[in-house]
Amino acid sequence: MEYNNATGHIYDIQGYAVHDGPGIRTTVYTKGCPLRCLWCHSPESQCYEFELSCLPIKCLGTALCRNACIDACPEGAISADEPKAAADGSGMIQKAKIDRAKCTGCLKCTEVCFAGAVYPSGRDTTVSEVFDRVMKDAGFFKNGGGITVSGGEAMAQFDFTLNLVKRLKAAGIHICLDTTGYAPAEQFEAILPYIDLFLYDIKHMDSAKHRSFTGVGNEMILENARYLAGHGGALQIRVVVIPKLTGEETDLRKTAEFCASLGGAVKLVQLLPYHKTGRMKYDRLGLRYKLTNVEPPDDDFMLKTLEMFRSCGLNAQLH
Amino acid sequence: MSNFDVPVSERIQALKDKRARINKDLRLNVERNRIITEYFRAHEYEYPVLKHAGFLYEWCAAREINIDDDDIFLGDAGPHTRTVHFDIEQTSQSWIRSCFGDTDERFRGAWQVPGSVWVSDEEREYLLKAADYWEGRDIGATGRGLMPPEFFERYKYGDINDVTGSYPGHFNPNYEKAVLVGFGAVRREALEKLEEIRKHTTADNVRSDLFYRAVVKTCDGIILMSKRYAAGCREKAAVAVPERAAELLKMADSCDWIMENPARNLWEGIQIILFYQNLITADGTHWADSPALIDSYLGPLLENDVAAGVLTPEGAQELCDAFLLQIGNQIIMFPKPYNDQLIQAHKTGKTMYDLQGGMQNIAAGSLITLGGQKTDGTGDYNLATEMFLLSYYRLRVAEPSLALRVNKDTPDRIWEIGIACSKRLGGMPQFNNDDIIIPAMVEKGVSLQDARRYGVFGCVEPSAAGKEWSMSANCGSFGGSNGGLVQMLTMCIYGNKDPMTGADGWLPCKKLYEYESFEEFKAEFERQVKYNLDSGARIQIFNSLIFDTAWPCISASVMLEGCIESGKDVTWGGAKYTGHGLMMNACATVADSMMTVKKLCFDGKTVSLRELYDALIGNWEGYELLRQRILNEVPFYGNDNDEVDELAAWVYDLFAEYNNSLPAPHNGKLNTGALDLYWVGAGKRVWATPDGRKTGETLSPSSDPRPEVVKNGPLSYVKSVSKLPWHKIRCGGAINLRFDANSVRGDAAAAKVRELIQSYFSMGGIQFHFTVADTEVMRSAQKNPQDYQDLIVRIAGFSAYFTHLPFDDQENYIARYELAV
Repeated sequence: MEYNNATGHIYDIQGYAVHDGPGIRTTVYTKGCPLRCLWCHSPESQCYEFELSCLPIKCLGTALCRNACIDACPEGAISADEPKAAADGSGMIQKAKIDRAKCTGCLKCTEVCFAGAVYPSGRDTTVSEVFDRVMKDAGFFKNGGGITVSGGEAMAQFDFTLNLVKRLKAAGIHICLDTTGYAPAEQFEAILPYIDLFLYDIKHMDSAKHRSFTGVGNEMILENARYLAGHGGALQIRVVVIPKLTGEETDLRKTAEFCASLGGAVKLVQLLPYHKTGRMKYDRLGLRYKLTNVEPPDDDFMLKTLEMFRSCGLNAQLH
Repeated sequence: MSNFDVPVSERIQALKDKRARINKDLRLNVERNRIITEYFRAHEYEYPVLKHAGFLYEWCAAREINIDDDDIFLGDAGPHTRTVHFDIEQTSQSWIRSCFGDTDERFRGAWQVPGSVWVSDEEREYLLKAADYWEGRDIGATGRGLMPPEFFERYKYGDINDVTGSYPGHFNPNYEKAVLVGFGAVRREALEKLEEIRKHTTADNVRSDLFYRAVVKTCDGIILMSKRYAAGCREKAAVAVPERAAELLKMADSCDWIMENPARNLWEGIQIILFYQNLITADGTHWADSPALIDSYLGPLLENDVAAGVLTPEGAQELCDAFLLQIGNQIIMFPKPYNDQLIQAHKTGKTMYDLQGGMQNIAAGSLITLGGQKTDGTGDYNLATEMFLLSYYRLRVAEPSLALRVNKDTPDRIWEIGIACSKRLGGMPQFNNDDIIIPAMVEKGVSLQDARRYGVFGCVEPSAAGKEWSMSANCGSFGGSNGGLVQMLTMCIYGNKDPMTGADGWLPCKKLYEYESFEEFKAEFERQVKYNLDSGARIQIFNSLIFDTAWPCISASVMLEGCIESGKDVTWGGAKYTGHGLMMNACATVADSMMTVKKLCFDGKTVSLRELYDALIGNWEGYELLRQRILNEVPFYGNDNDEVDELAAWVYDLFAEYNNSLPAPHNGKLNTGALDLYWVGAGKRVWATPDGRKTGETLSPSSDPRPEVVKNGPLSYVKSVSKLPWHKIRCGGAINLRFDANSVRGDAAAAKVRELIQSYFSMGGIQFHFTVADTEVMRSAQKNPQDYQDLIVRIAGFSAYFTHLPFDDQENYIARYELAV
């Protein structure tokens, strides 16, 4: 099995990612995604390039660091905000304020901020570096655990992802690939031998609606699912249930029927009630959260949906 | 999803409700203190061990026999249910004088208002007079009479508690022998031994003659007490409704039988534990006596009863529930810090009740151990293990604490209930790793068979259950300096001076900017630690002489293995094993500080030692940028970084290895533990440290990483902790992980928690506990405490009701371990 030390962009590696597949897992989150789902809970994952993230709560005031970020910005996009009381009660401070319209994303400010109040939304890495980091957690993988490669869309950095999973497979690690399914079929064909379980999103069966909610149609996604199911892939399908968007009963039934049509390749269907916890991340990036008038589905509805999926002969669970 | 939530019976619910009611109407245990004061006053001439046995007999004979109409089990430490127990002979005069000697108005405002711990006018007057009697006669006085000069000069303390941190009696009593053998057999054995000595009395065995006479007297006492309860039950039966009368008569028959004889059924087994616990409490000087392996010896009784049809499974579960409620009724004041807190509280117009829960004196630091191994090394789990776990789960009670021993034979169902219970009860049970603890016990000289039967007492401390006497464990405060290891680091940085007080230390040394290499800095730290441990060990030996001289513990000695055999009280070294614990603390504060010095000043030389010193001595004033740089640049403990983790392991290894090798009282062992209960308070007395901590800020908790610098989540966190030399930390230690509610929801997630624990244990971890809470819940509990009375959180070795914690502890708790997924 040959692999190279490809480079890639990731935004996080998390140990004990208990929602990303069987056992105890460490998840590598890659940057960049071809989809723009309205409900996306990790907006920092969407763009391949690093963006400026800002956590004002960490800013100690521009006086203390002698305007470090303000001076570092070539565009004049950073200024001192109105004086406000510091959280530690030490007096009034003026935090850094970013004018997103002027910011070009050069990230020079992040190099001088010791407090970590401005930071890049990801980092450059290599297959070796990620491999060394995740293998430190290998002692926890005994009972079916392992590595999950997630995104963004991990397939969007295909060279990096393929070489990473080859390297991990050579070390005997159980691998999950968390994917939207939106990538060329030949790429799935190439990666299939190294993936123990695909965590595969089916967002909507109606392609027009799919396009309006995510920016792309669903044809390639469904086709890839059929391909993987027909060629020995194991699938754990994830369906996000969002009232008004993907949560119509008839739409969900179509999703269930599609899953059932994939046969024994589908090991599990997880129904994920929509949640809003990603919203604060939008603020950090200066983005607008668009799904403001949608509430999480209620428990009754989730239970009914679960029953419906099970009635199609699927091994389904709420997640 | 698994559901263990079978509702408790109406009777149990009523008992639980009653307990909550009584919590608002507590009484001080004056009865016991009156009996000991009057007995000692009249028998000053008696030899100490006889005097103590005589007092205990008197207590058994004279104490009020309290039987409530709804009691399933009998016995309290005092005349009232949930009586607040204290030992007047333990330097109690300070708070008695401050609180009871105050003006009438202030006294009544604190002790005679609804919700206070009630003390009557007569009791107040009596205790003030009793305090006068004990002046110059209490345990502290014995200490003043024999401690070496440096105790007073160097430590500058007058109270032995300042050094020991705790009185002896942090142990696993031999409840097993009380249940399976009984006091009658022990009494007979003592009489035989006396007969032998009478035939041939020598200078060597004459003290044993006194001891055996004390044993006989104590056995007589507890047998008498049980018979008095029998009579009490019969009296009550005469006027009770038929159903209750029948029950009372059955209880009476059992009380006539037990204590003298072994238990014949589950009810009797449990009742023996409860009566014996009352006796140990009355004897005084004990804290955290902890029933170990109760499932192991009560299980066969339970299974027999069920098999014979004497008990239904529901009936057996009800007895387990009732046991838990009853044993949790023991409330003992923790001596030293509590005295001062009580005085302080009184000055600020608070009552003793306000301190309940804030100080962890409820349940007296008692801890129950379940599960484990038989002497042959196979797993020891039975129906009682499951039922006692379920009792905790169903009743949602925080006390006593609970430890679950786990090993390769632990059944899946026990794991499942254990984790479900821990999720619900804020870290109860804690999980204890047999694979590390048993070899560590063998290393300290315990036989393999005895090691397999270890129990846990207090917070996390393992001991040979029923066979080991222990005087532990001064949490992080060796040498009287509450910072412990941090204090030694402070000396190395500030040139043997504590900037907090301006006081000189004991070993002159360089200032931070004078060291020429990191190795030299480490060597100085090593010299300081060893010097302090040497002094600490010497003080420990003197300290145990206090008890050897005049404060025996006959209630423990009658049953603890080795005492009857050797003819010696536990305080004379009579137990089969004697162990004294010493706790390390603030692992992360020390390791992260060392790493900062190494990384910035020696390796990279990006900051001069002088600059760091100036920043520190000025408490970072004008150096905030440097401080931020340290916080964000230096690799810190808790992130699976080998370099800093090795420093942490080096610090612990240095302490543990050396301390374990030092001479201990009665040729016992000094044992090193790693636990801290007071990191917030201790931090207030420690000047700025190189890890970016400001003067007075909290120290890191026990062996846990500093929450604010943990960046990689739970796996890296536990892996860092797993690198500490736990096999040498044989007095136990804790890891404390907090999950957000979301990451442990559901059966699959619970199974992953089990995997995490097992992985950590296979990497060498000794103990694990976790709490589940999300920040929002705790914030709302701060705002509406009345709605969150049941919210339990785990802090180091114990669980507490969140709403009872002082505000800054709540804040600290919220800041910790937010390991969101």
